[in-house]
Amino acid sequence: MKNKVIVAISLCLCVGLVFAGMKIFDKGTSGEVDPMEVYGCDTLNVYNWGEYVGENTIEDFEKEYNVKVNYTLFGSNEEMYTKLLGGDKYDILIPSDYMIERLMNEDMLAPLDLSLIPNIDGLHPSVVGLDYDPENTYSVPYFWGSVGIVYDTTVVSQEDVESQGFNVFKNPKYAGEVYLYDSERDSFMMALKALGYSMNTSDLDEINEAYEWLLEVKEATDPVFAQDEIIDGMSTGAKALGIIYSGDAAYIQSVNENIAYFEPKEGTNIWSDGMVIPKNSTCGLLAHEFINYNLEYDVAYNNSDMVGYTASLEEAKTALENGTYDGISAYQPRENYEDDEVFRDNPDMKTVFSELWIKVKAAS
Amino acid sequence: MKLFSRLVHPYVVWISIFVLAPMLLIVLYATTTSGNGTLTLQFTADNFIRFFSDELFINVLINSLEIAVITTLICIAIGYPAAYFISKMNAKQGAILILLITLPMLINMLVRTNAWIGILSDNGVINNVLGFFGFEEVKMMYTRFAVILGMVYNFVPFMILQIHASLSKMDKSLVEASNDLGANRMQTFLKITLPLSMPGVISGITLVFLPAVSSFFIPKLLGGGSELLIGNLIETYFITTGDWNFGSAISLIMAIIIMFSMYLTKKVDKGGRD
Repeated sequence: MKNKVIVAISLCLCVGLVFAGMKIFDKGTSGEVDPMEVYGCDTLNVYNWGEYVGENTIEDFEKEYNVKVNYTLFGSNEEMYTKLLGGDKYDILIPSDYMIERLMNEDMLAPLDLSLIPNIDGLHPSVVGLDYDPENTYSVPYFWGSVGIVYDTTVVSQEDVESQGFNVFKNPKYAGEVYLYDSERDSFMMALKALGYSMNTSDLDEINEAYEWLLEVKEATDPVFAQDEIIDGMSTGAKALGIIYSGDAAYIQSVNENIAYFEPKEGTNIWSDGMVIPKNSTCGLLAHEFINYNLEYDVAYNNSDMVGYTASLEEAKTALENGTYDGISAYQPRENYEDDEVFRDNPDMKTVFSELWIKVKAAS
Repeated sequence: MKLFSRLVHPYVVWISIFVLAPMLLIVLYATTTSGNGTLTLQFTADNFIRFFSDELFINVLINSLEIAVITTLICIAIGYPAAYFISKMNAKQGAILILLITLPMLINMLVRTNAWIGILSDNGVINNVLGFFGFEEVKMMYTRFAVILGMVYNFVPFMILQIHASLSKMDKSLVEASNDLGANRMQTFLKITLPLSMPGVISGITLVFLPAVSSFFIPKLLGGGSELLIGNLIETYFITTGDWNFGSAISLIMAIIIMFSMYLTKKVDKGGRD
């Protein structure tokens, strides 16, 4: 009996010592620069969307700057916001436009020192100084794109899509073939746009009309409300028609040549996701370095090449347009189109939209 | 013995931090308005009134209970015979079957549920086989059928294990006595085996009904938003809307319903034994 205890204790010690040893080695690698001295910290907490970064981006950053990156993922802006409210500490976040605006309004972001981000000069003109952050005081775009209709040209007629725009989701011809996002934001955007209203409206009559429009869609084509399943479902041909973010469409187009992407004439949502530093970050200098690093040509190129979303760095976008994503329409979001809009944060309408959306989903 | 009773103290601390405190927070959130400071709490019953005065929420609640009840009934229908036959087998065979039933539970539930998408989808395994034999494609994904199937699949092991446990610890000599005294097999089953296995069925019901009624990712993955359950509602209010007060109120209503149903099953259990 006593022997067993001794064996158990020595086993524990062995395992413990091995881990302790690894920790020492961990710190001992490379080590030309001491990040503690240069940046005052050696760990960066990055919170990003899932599948939203190049294969070696994080690893290379760790090596180059001799630091450790805690890289965690979120699935929606709201999820990120909830975590942030819950007191989690991050140094870099990459939320979407309207969420950046909300964080700005709630005084949760630290202003950027643009002199530490020289690469910002290479940004694509379409994503510089957007309405919610005209001087790029708080945010630097990472990816951008549009929302559009993705369809299988062997099943859905191009003419229907191009003449009907978002109303094609109401076309009974395509009943059972439709994917929509399980998101009130994207759904009401498409409804309001289809009706010719602004997607940032606060007019309750217009919103109610959009709600009726969504009910009609549900009635006519019985769509499936999904998220990332749309990517798989469209690539494999499970369904033939759907709403989608341009970057995901670019990926689908690159694996299935029958897929087309269309931005409706009534206008759509032009969005961008930007890198921001939350106010409670204690690693600001290194965070600036990370933002600048992501705007280096190679890094931006690899990120965008990997995931299919449009690079915010103009040079990388141009190279990919003529390279990997040559001939893939979804890689080039529409620019300077009058009826396209950017989402604004509208806290008063949040509950209205989400309650109506629950009603749409619960309706049978 | 007295010495050991002190060992319970860490457990009490653990329970109060990780079970009691969150529960109290939910109650606090549910009964206050949003935008409170720590010192200026404003109590309200609005969240509850809002839930019960809107037909929409009531329908979601009824839908959840309906699906959970159907799931539980199917689990009994499948689980009871399975457990019964396993307990009839010799120990070795029974152990292998029990192992086979528990084996999938070692894999994450989310992964197993995702696998069903590949099986049920329009160009999935089942439809491919049907197509091969010239049958027409059946729409299974994103229907109520898929949701219930996913739940039954995920929760039926709990039922089997519970019933099997109570069947296998049953005193076999009672069955022998019954046979000896001239009861036929049906009578023996109805008068001896079934009543003695009821505690297993009851705890099986608790273990299946509770997760089924509050499940949110199975309807999300397999129902495609066509089946909105109370769990999805809570998730929406916490994550998307950011209305933690109303979300907490729904959670609290849910918790009360669950506690009430547990109380009922306990009652039935006791009544059966008297």
